[in-house]
Amino acid sequence: MENAVEARELVKTYKVKKKQGLFRSLQENVEALRGVSFKVKYGEIVGLLGPNGAGKTTTIKILSTLLLPDSGTALVAGYDVVREPDKVRRNIGLMLTIEKGFYGKLTGRENLEYFAALYGLTKQKAVERINYLVKLLELDKLGADSKLFEEFSLGMKARLSLARALLSDAPILLLDEPTLGLDPPSARRIRELVKELAHGERKAVLYTTHNMFEAEIVCDRIILINKGQIVAEGTPNELKERIPKLKILNILIRGGNDVKPMLETMGLKYDVKAEDNGILSVKIHLRKPEELLDDILKMLVRNEFEIISVKIEEPTLEDVFIYFSEGTK
Amino acid sequence: MSFIDILRAEYRLVYNDVFRRKSVLLTTIMYPYIFTAFTLFIGYSAGSPSVFTQKMGIEPALYMITASYMLMSILTSLDDLLWKPLFDTYTGTIIYILASPVNRFKLYAAIPFPRLTLLVLLGFTSLLPVYIYYFGLGGLLLSLLIMGVVALGCLIMIPFAIFVASSVHRVGESWRILNVVRPLIMIFLGVYYPRIYMPLGAYIISSLIPSSHIVEAAQRLLIGIQSGVYVLFAIAFTLAIIYIPISQFTLSSWERKKVKEGVRTS
Repeated sequence: MENAVEARELVKTYKVKKKQGLFRSLQENVEALRGVSFKVKYGEIVGLLGPNGAGKTTTIKILSTLLLPDSGTALVAGYDVVREPDKVRRNIGLMLTIEKGFYGKLTGRENLEYFAALYGLTKQKAVERINYLVKLLELDKLGADSKLFEEFSLGMKARLSLARALLSDAPILLLDEPTLGLDPPSARRIRELVKELAHGERKAVLYTTHNMFEAEIVCDRIILINKGQIVAEGTPNELKERIPKLKILNILIRGGNDVKPMLETMGLKYDVKAEDNGILSVKIHLRKPEELLDDILKMLVRNEFEIISVKIEEPTLEDVFIYFSEGTK
Repeated sequence: MSFIDILRAEYRLVYNDVFRRKSVLLTTIMYPYIFTAFTLFIGYSAGSPSVFTQKMGIEPALYMITASYMLMSILTSLDDLLWKPLFDTYTGTIIYILASPVNRFKLYAAIPFPRLTLLVLLGFTSLLPVYIYYFGLGGLLLSLLIMGVVALGCLIMIPFAIFVASSVHRVGESWRILNVVRPLIMIFLGVYYPRIYMPLGAYIISSLIPSSHIVEAAQRLLIGIQSGVYVLFAIAFTLAIIYIPISQFTLSSWERKKVKEGVRTS
C-alpha cells in the first residue's frame, strides 16, 4: 500500500526568548521534535497521542506546511513539504482549531464559499461540494446557511471546520483534536464520519486526540509521542500487550467460607471488598487469567460460594498512554 | 485558480462584513465630512481662508473634501493590507489561508478591491454634492473625473501597499510599527500638504510612492492645470510596475519567515 504521509527523522527546536530585566533577554531552545519518523497509508486512520507539549501539533504543522522542520524530511502525497509546499497543500484537508478559524460576520455557507475560492474550486464546483458537505455534516438542519459563525455552538463550529477540511476532497486529512470539547452526539458524528472517509473513501487520516476512548474506537494504528520522540507505535491491542500491567479477574460471590486463605494458598495477588446484600467483590491480578480461571472457579464452588458474575478487565489504552508518556517501562 | 474567483470571494467577505456592521458603513460615509470639518476648523483658527485660496488656487472647503476623499480611498489599499493579516491572526483564519494553495500575490492584490470600490463610489456622497454646489452642473463632470483619477490612484497603490505591508509584517509585533508607518505615508502622499511645498528630502520620499503622483495630478485637474498631468500618470504607472516584483519578493520572504517561526494556531 502506498504511503500518504512519510515523516523521516523530523527535528524542530523552537527558540524562546525570556525577558531578563528591562533590556536583556535570554534565548532558550525548546526541542519540540527529536527525530520523529512514521508513515500513514491511504485508507488508514493513524492516531497521534501524547501529553501536552509532546510534539503532536508541531508534527501536524510541519505536514501542513505551516512550519519548517530544522532537519529531516516529510513527504505528503509524495511531495516534499519544504520544497513543494503548493503541491502538498493541494492534497491535504486541515482541521487545526475548532473555536476559531472562520469569519464571525459570515454565515457558515459564506465562510465555506470563501475558503472554496482559496482552495481553487470553481463557483459551480464549490456550490455542489458545499451542498454535499452541509448535508453530510447535517449543518443544514442546524441552520448553518442563515446563522452567522459568531452565533454557532461549539458542535456546529467543529462540523463546519471538518466541512472546510473536506472542501477540496483532498486524499489526506490532518485533524488536530477534532472533537475537543464537543457534546457526545457531535463527537460521535465526527468520529463516524472520519471512519467512513478513511475506510469508505480510502483517505489517509492523521488524527490527534487526548481522548483514549476515542483513539481506541477510531484509530487503526496509534503512535505515542512524548517529549518530541515516538515512544510506541502499533494497533491499540498491540500496544496494550506491550505494557506489563496485569489483567484483573473480577468475581462477585456470595456465601461460603472465608475466601482470603484460599486465595493465599494459591499464591494470588487479590483485593476483596464487601458489597451490598452479602456480596463480595474479589479482584485477582493475573497476567493470563484465562489459564487459572477454571481452577479458581472450581475452588470457589468446592467451598460453597455462589458465583454471581465473572469478568476479565483488560488494561485500557489510558493505561498504555500513561505508561509510555511517563516513561515508566 | 483565477484572480476573478479570488476577487469575488473577497468582495463577498468584505461586503457581508461591512453591511452587517452598520456603524462601519455609516462612519465610512461620514469620514470625508468629519475630516474636512476637522481640518477646516484647525485651518480657520490658525490662518485665513483667503490666504489659502491665494496660495493653493482653490477654496479650502473644496480642497479639503477632495483631499479627505482621496486620502481615505487611496490609503485603503495600505490599510487593508496592513490590517488583514492581523485580523486573520485574531480570527484564526491565517493558518487556513497559509495552508491553502492560493497564489499569495493574487490574494493580496485582491484584498483591497472591495473596500476601494466602496470608497471610490462614496465620491457620490462626498465629492458630487460639494462640487455641484461650487461649480453647478460642471461639478458633476469634474467629480466623475476626480473619482476616476482616484480609482486609478487606488489601483496603482496596491503593489506598493503589498511591499509596505509585507515588510512591516516581517517584524515582530508589527501592529506597533504600522501605527508609525501609516501616518508617514499619509503625509508623503501629499493629499493635505501638497508635494510642491514639501522640503526636498520629503519630496524625494513622496516621489517613491506611486499614488502621490496621481494625487498631484488630481490636484492639478481640480485647480484647472492640465500641463504635466500625463507625465505624472506615466511616472505613477512605471513605479507601480517596478513595485510588482519587489512586492512579490517581500511577500514570499515574509511567508518564509512566518513558516520558519511557525504559524500560531491558538
